Amino acid sequence: MANQSVEPRQDFIRIPPEAPGPHVPIVLRLDPIVQLTDAQIEALSTVNEILRIERNAQGDLELQYLRPTVIGHLNIVICSSLGSWRRENGSGVAFGSSVGFTLPNGALRSPDASWISESRFAELTDEQMAGFPPVSPDFVIELRSTSDNLSVLRRKMAEYMENGVRLAWLLDTVERRAYIHRPGTDIEILEAPESLSGESVLPGFVLDMTPIWEPGF
Amino acid sequence: MTTQTVKPQPETAQQQPELVEPYGPVVLRLPPAVPLTDGLLAELSSLNDALRLERNAQGELEILPPTHHTTGNQNSHINRQLGNWAEVDGTGEVFDSSTGFTLPNGSIRSPDASWILRSRLAELTEEQDRRGSPPISPDFVIELRSGSDTLRGLQRKMEEYIANGARLGWLIDSIDRRRRVYVYRPGEEVEVLEGPESLSGDPELPGFVLELQFIWERSF
Repeated sequence: MANQSVEPRQDFIRIPPEAPGPHVPIVLRLDPIVQLTDAQIEALSTVNEILRIERNAQGDLELQYLRPTVIGHLNIVICSSLGSWRRENGSGVAFGSSVGFTLPNGALRSPDASWISESRFAELTDEQMAGFPPVSPDFVIELRSTSDNLSVLRRKMAEYMENGVRLAWLLDTVERRAYIHRPGTDIEILEAPESLSGESVLPGFVLDMTPIWEPGF
Repeated sequence: MTTQTVKPQPETAQQQPELVEPYGPVVLRLPPAVPLTDGLLAELSSLNDALRLERNAQGELEILPPTHHTTGNQNSHINRQLGNWAEVDGTGEVFDSSTGFTLPNGSIRSPDASWILRSRLAELTEEQDRRGSPPISPDFVIELRSGSDTLRGLQRKMEEYIANGARLGWLIDSIDRRRRVYVYRPGEEVEVLEGPESLSGDPELPGFVLELQFIWERSF
């Protein structure tokens, strides 16, 4: 067999922690030059499939490249668990990461997984549901992969809570840590918990965390 | 399993820079929802000072994140040397990366450094001259590879410059430890140099020599 030598990569670089890039979204200021309508943002999201497009409370676009494959896999694991809880004994509506919600502060956010209670859902019109409904989910999950900056995600979690989310989980797959946000209380940090409970917000919902910490690839 | 609680407050812990693969510009396809006109690109650029915004031939917005301060320092060395030569030479003008040029293929590009013959600049009409991104291809361009640039992306950009009328292009790769420079000329194979101490602009830029020590050996 031929003696194969693999040349080491020469071009890896160090990116400072808060620099925009694979970890931190690029923020593109648009206002006051362009005020994008929901329909335009939707059109942009459709033609820019490899970007996650969100809008912050100042009306700036936040652009981030798609994340590692494993996150897509974990999303499915979480969403199927959330979906089967809802089918069996829950109420409300569960969502995957392809939806956008317009929060009361004007930001347009697309959590990895979310759930809206029957009562909040009932207030939305069909027209609102067709776009980016003006509602904060009752429950959100965000996953952190190697391509996500932790402090950016923690600011996002704080924004969810300020905008009426009742329970929010940040699952850090890099550090194997779960951050549990509840209104009016301190953030609870759990080191690699085996499971998480939906508490009073999603009664009876338990997410088995083994496949999150050990996705197998 | 251990549990701890913390006050909800912003992250204070210092995060270490991570070693990552470069990813190139973020490409945002604006049309057809929002046509990216020259005027809109100029306005977006002034609103987003920290970002370098370009338009590719497909009319998409290419967003380059702010460069590391060492890249800014290297760019300024390059522009100073090119500017010093051009002033003595007198046949052309130098532009830095804040200038956008509209190339014949419709893209708007801002090379790190560029030079255009005065005789060609004189051919711009008054109206073209007023435009933020004049419809002219630089005779000579330099691109310096920074942390967020992919080599392939910059090579494509150099090919685009040459295909659109540039007569000489240097791609200086300060990220690759092999210290490579890629020299582009129309109709010629790309010449790859390893660790040159200097580059000569002959014959397109007679007598111009770019010293590269400040690129290869960072002084601070």
